[in-house]
Amino acid sequence: MSAQNSEGITTLLEAEKEASKIVQKAREYRTKRVREARDEAKKEIEAYRAQKEAEFKKFESEHSQGNKQAEEEADKEADVKIKEIKEAGKKSQDQVVKDLLSAVFDVKPEPASD
Amino acid sequence: MSGTHALSDDQVRQELKKMTAFIRQEASEKANEIEIKANEEFSIEKAKLVQEEKDSIDSNYAKKFKQATMSQQITRSKVANQTRLKVLGARQELLDDIFEAAQQKLGDAAKDKDKYQEILKNLILEGFYDMNEPTLQVRARKADYDLVKSAIEAASKEYKEKVDKDISAEIDESEPLAEGSAGGVILVGTGGKIDINNTFEARLDILRTSALPAMRQALFGKNPNRKFFD
Repeated sequence: MSAQNSEGITTLLEAEKEASKIVQKAREYRTKRVREARDEAKKEIEAYRAQKEAEFKKFESEHSQGNKQAEEEADKEADVKIKEIKEAGKKSQDQVVKDLLSAVFDVKPEPASD
Repeated sequence: MSGTHALSDDQVRQELKKMTAFIRQEASEKANEIEIKANEEFSIEKAKLVQEEKDSIDSNYAKKFKQATMSQQITRSKVANQTRLKVLGARQELLDDIFEAAQQKLGDAAKDKDKYQEILKNLILEGFYDMNEPTLQVRARKADYDLVKSAIEAASKEYKEKVDKDISAEIDESEPLAEGSAGGVILVGTGGKIDINNTFEARLDILRTSALPAMRQALFGKNPNRKFFD
């Protein structure tokens, strides 16, 4: 009878051992999932960041391109205007000098009118 | 204990089987629960981490974009300003050249003695009118003293005719105009406290500011943006 008893107990103990293995496996699975959550999140985040960075770089390069264009146009404009000024000078300089000298030399004295 | 056995061997075996199965069953169910929970936690945790970081990345990049835009605006505005300054600089250069040319020619008036005398008379008369004093001193170039003396006479006569007042003006020979001067006179009155500088250099200097609007119009045309003309 005691042999039966100890057999029975052994069987049950083995069953318990099996059971705890099963549960332990599940627990390990849980731990693994926690890690996987972090790892996958990291990957997604990196991909997102890289995409944003690419967008930004594109934006920057478009703008520096635009800036360069704007500067070139502005320089061209300035050159045109400066050319105009020089031509105006050539055309009118002598007359303006004459007019200035007139103003200096042609004195028109007037008595003060109080 | 040897008494009545409650269960036969078979029954014991059956019971053991049931109990083992039960134990296994419980463990499976528990393991299942754990796995389900693990998967839920996985989804939640992953989504949370991703969202947090995405938000932070978004706000970072929003800042970066804003700064880049601002810096572009600043650059554009700098460029526009530079252009404006370039053009204004060219204008100013032209005006300076014109005044330089005029300055060079200031000495021309003194070459024609008759014309120069007439000019001197007018400069002196202008000074008489502006000072409105009975006694004045006149400063001139040493070389002009003779011409100036005659000019003073003519001016005094005209003064008397126009305003019916006597005026006495003399050359102050202790203070001639500097040698390099192009000509003209300085009138000094009120015991030396007030003077009217009617030298050619001084008259040109006044024009450096007063003549600018007219010069600009003559050279560059009317300003379409100008609104006030008084």
